[in-house]
Formats: sequence, C-alpha cells, structure tokens
Amino acid sequence: MKWLNLLKGNIRKEYIELKRYLPNTIAMLLTFYIIFLGMFAGIQIVGDPNTADANIQYVIVNYVFWFLAIIVVQDIGWQLQIEATQGTLEQLSMSPMGIWKIMLMRLISTVLVNFLIIIALLYLSMLTTGQWLNVDVVALAPIFILTIMSMIGLGFIIAGMSIVLKQVQAFLQILQFILAGLTFVPVSVAPVLAFLPIVKGVDLVRSVMIDGTSLLGIGFGDFMILVFNAIFYFVIGFIFFLYCERVAMKKGLLAHY
Amino acid sequence: MEPIIKIQNLKKSYKKRKAKEVIQAVKGISFSVNRGEILGLLGPNGAGKSTTIKMICGLVKPDAGTILIDGINNQDKRLKALNHISAVLEGNRNIYWRLTVRENLEYFAGNRGASRKEVAEEVASLLEKFRLKEKENELVNRLSRGMQQKLAIAVAMLANTDVILLDEPTLGLDVETSYEVRELLRSVASEYNRTIIISSHDMDVIQDICERTVIINNGQVVTDDKVENLLRLFEVRAYKIALGGLLTERQLLLLEQKFPHYTYIPDTFQSSLEVDLEKSEEIYDLFDILKLESTVVESIDRKSINFEQIFIKIVKGEAEHEMAQSS
Repeated sequence: MKWLNLLKGNIRKEYIELKRYLPNTIAMLLTFYIIFLGMFAGIQIVGDPNTADANIQYVIVNYVFWFLAIIVVQDIGWQLQIEATQGTLEQLSMSPMGIWKIMLMRLISTVLVNFLIIIALLYLSMLTTGQWLNVDVVALAPIFILTIMSMIGLGFIIAGMSIVLKQVQAFLQILQFILAGLTFVPVSVAPVLAFLPIVKGVDLVRSVMIDGTSLLGIGFGDFMILVFNAIFYFVIGFIFFLYCERVAMKKGLLAHY
Repeated sequence: MEPIIKIQNLKKSYKKRKAKEVIQAVKGISFSVNRGEILGLLGPNGAGKSTTIKMICGLVKPDAGTILIDGINNQDKRLKALNHISAVLEGNRNIYWRLTVRENLEYFAGNRGASRKEVAEEVASLLEKFRLKEKENELVNRLSRGMQQKLAIAVAMLANTDVILLDEPTLGLDVETSYEVRELLRSVASEYNRTIIISSHDMDVIQDICERTVIINNGQVVTDDKVENLLRLFEVRAYKIALGGLLTERQLLLLEQKFPHYTYIPDTFQSSLEVDLEKSEEIYDLFDILKLESTVVESIDRKSINFEQIFIKIVKGEAEHEMAQSS
C-alpha cells in the first residue's frame, strides 16, 4: 500500500506541474512538432520518392520513441540536478521508503503521465503525414513495457550520475544525441546493436507498426533479447544507482547545505 | 530514561578535492539526547556541526562510531531509523516552490508512503496550528520567507517522527515571525512530545527555547550542559568593578597573573575593571590585589552575560568547565 501511495503522490505531482505550467508543456510539444515537420519536409523535398512513405513511417516511430526516451531517461537527470540545487534532494533522501523507490516511482509516473501526450503526438504525426501505422495494442503493449524497463534502467544510471557528479549537465545535453542514436539506428546495420538498450524494442515496434507483424509473428529469439535487455539494463541501472547513493553518502553529497 | 538518540565516538574525515589532504571533520563525538528534550547543537563554522547533523539524519556515512535512534543503528538499518527522524536542514529550500502549501504537505507525506486520506486530518490540524490555513492553496514561491519556513517545519512535523532536527529555523526571519516560530517549536515539543534538535547561530533562540546545549568545536564536543547551568555558571563569576582612580603597575601585573582575561579601562577619576572568576572564592584574591594599593572600590556589579558571550568564551577556549551530562 505504501508503494501505491508513493506512486500516486508522484503521479499527482507530475500531473500538477504539467498542468500548472501549461505554456511550458505546450512549448515542448510545439518544438517536437516543428522538428517533426522539418524532418517530414526534408523527406518530401530531398528524399527518394520511391521510399518516401517507408521513410516517413520510420521517422514517426523513431521520433516518438526518441521523445519518450528523452522524457524518461534525460528528465530524471535534470530533475535531480534541480532538486540538489534547490535543497529538496536531502528531503527525498531522508524518506524511510528509500530514495530508489522514490526515483522508480517518479520514472513510472513520468511514463504514465506522458503516455497520453505520446499517443497524441503519434496520431498528430500520422494525421500530418497521412501515413497511418498499425496500432496493434496486443502486440505493442508487451514490447512497450519491456522497452520502458530498459529505459528506466538507463534512467537509474543517469539519476545515480546526477547525484554523484556535480558537472553532469554537459553530459545530459549530449545524452539526447546518444538516445537519438539508440532510437534511430536500425538493428540491421549491425545485429549486435540489438543488445543495446531501447534498440531492440524500437526495432520490434517498427516491425509491428510499419510491417504489421502480430505478437505471435515476433520471433521467439527476438522476444527473448527484448526480455533479456529489459531485465539486464533495469538490474544494472538499479545496482548502479544504489552504488552511487552509497558513494554520495560517503562523500556527503546527498545534502548540499 | 533511555535517550532517544545516542551517539558514540563518531568520526568522519573528507578528502579535499584536487588535493591529497584529509580533513578530519568529526573527531570522536559522543552525546545523547533525551526523549522530549529541546537540544541546541552549536558550533562555529567548520566545527563539524553540519557533518554531525548529516550523519544523524543518515545523509552521510560516518567512518567510525555509532548513532542509535530509538535504539536503531542508523547505519545498519538506515531506512528503519529514518522512520524516527525528520529534518529541516535548508529551511525554506526544503520544500517545492512550484507546489502549493497543501500540495507540499501531501507530496512529502506520499513520499513516506502515506495517502492523502490518511494524513487529511493531520494536514488540516497542522495548517491551523502553523496559521497556514488561509494560504493552503497558495504557491510556495508567493509566500513570505516566514511562511515558507513554517511550512518546512510543518512538513517535518507531518512525518510524525520522534525526533525533528532543525538547522537555523529562524534564519532570515523578522523578529515577530522568529518569536512565532520559537513558540511553535516549544508547543511542538510539549504538546506532541517530540524531541527537537536545533542548530543555530542565533544564541537568543538557543537561550530562549533549548533546555540543553552541546557545543562542538574543532570536531569535538567541548560542552554538554543545560543552558541554565551555563548561564548561572558564567554569570556568577563575571564582575564589573568601578574603581576610584588608576591601578598601579604592580596591581596590573598581579591581575595578569591571576586573571589573564581581565578587561581594564583606566580613567583618572573612575576606572573600570571586568574580571571573570573561575571559582567564586577568587573574589578574595581580587580584593587582596586592590587592597595592596588601597584602591577605592566604588561599586561592584555582577556582569550580566548572555548566551552568545558564553558560547564565544567556550569556543575560544577562554573558559572551561566540567562537562556535566544532564539527566
């Protein structure tokens, strides 16, 4: 029950801030949309007309996933940097629930609250381009959940780094390009990329949404890689975060006062 | 009575950044805090006070020593120990300025695993008690500093812990709000039977609301005594004497030997001499010195001393007294 209250509290905070600072939220969505229009126009103007439809579909999936990855992975880093500067990090660190649980619930809250925005962006992109993708919820749900797990693992790594390293801002700026690499680069370039976080998930989502593959159509091996990645990156991220918390406690970084 | 906090031989050192120098911030601190007590934890900047506070709050891991909070070792069972302690370490910076008063209370309660429903009654009572009811839906960044400070304390109160640790609870507050916060803290300790540890540079606050003080200097406890004991101890031995004329070289030499920290303001008509006596009987030695040259004593006043002066004397090592562990 305590877990649920913790989750509810964090969902509420996320929702309140999105709603209260609506102009910020709208500006963020507009930026997303304008960049997307730029990509769309690029494909239309300079792209090969024979592959234009495929490219646009490809961009829609990759871009929406990139947006999600930035929100989940990068945002937690910024949040912690702000909390450390503001002085609220030490309050979170003093919760008997444990800071990792608060971070986990924050990451989940971010996904849940932003999910509706992601769906809206997806449909807006499809409407703009006239390219209607296959939204097979049964096939997409497990892929989505498992991919989010690896994203949360990455989020934990970034959160841990943000607690320990004061000068992490520069890395957080670069991170969005790393995330772009993970969401835009196809597995076909090099099969080993499938073992990187997010990559396999986006690949399978493309397979469902663009090629129309059903859940049963997804290969067992592909699905196992996705499961392995989800567990591996989640556990690694979690262990890394706990390690960073211990380092921060040893160095006195949890309280900046 | 079993103390709620028991600290034994606490040590902590830090490595200086970009240098191989190791700074020993805390060098074996031991003290305890009784249940329901208001304790002042004092020390000059760099004394090791902040590090000690962070270690009590479980934010910094000590190199050695133990901290028992209600019998729970806060290193072995950190999260369990955190059920018994809450803190306001950065005053109004410990709350979210982009949330309202009520949202802050509810969010922090949620972070401790409590639902809004579970804390509804307590939130309402705290809003009343801290006179924040009218501002409950106001964004924190629109509140005065005093109100923000009160909210931060209310958040710590809502955690329902046995111990509340407050760092500089009246810093930056106007006189009226400072008194209001002091009153609140007193009532919190008595009505809710909470143990409060206050760290402050405002000695008026310490003198006004703390029953006992632990003074830390250079990483060690230099004094652990009741405030009233310290005031009595220092007040009774500080004297201001008006003299009818000047003291001779011989008298000054003897004063220097016997009372090295005396203050003498010479004046042909009426000189002033201030002396701190270590023992009450030393007053006779002082009179012997004055009597040597038949110096006229026009008046003797027991010098009033405030807690700030006591603190400075202790920290500067000008005065020592046996540490009496209050029970």
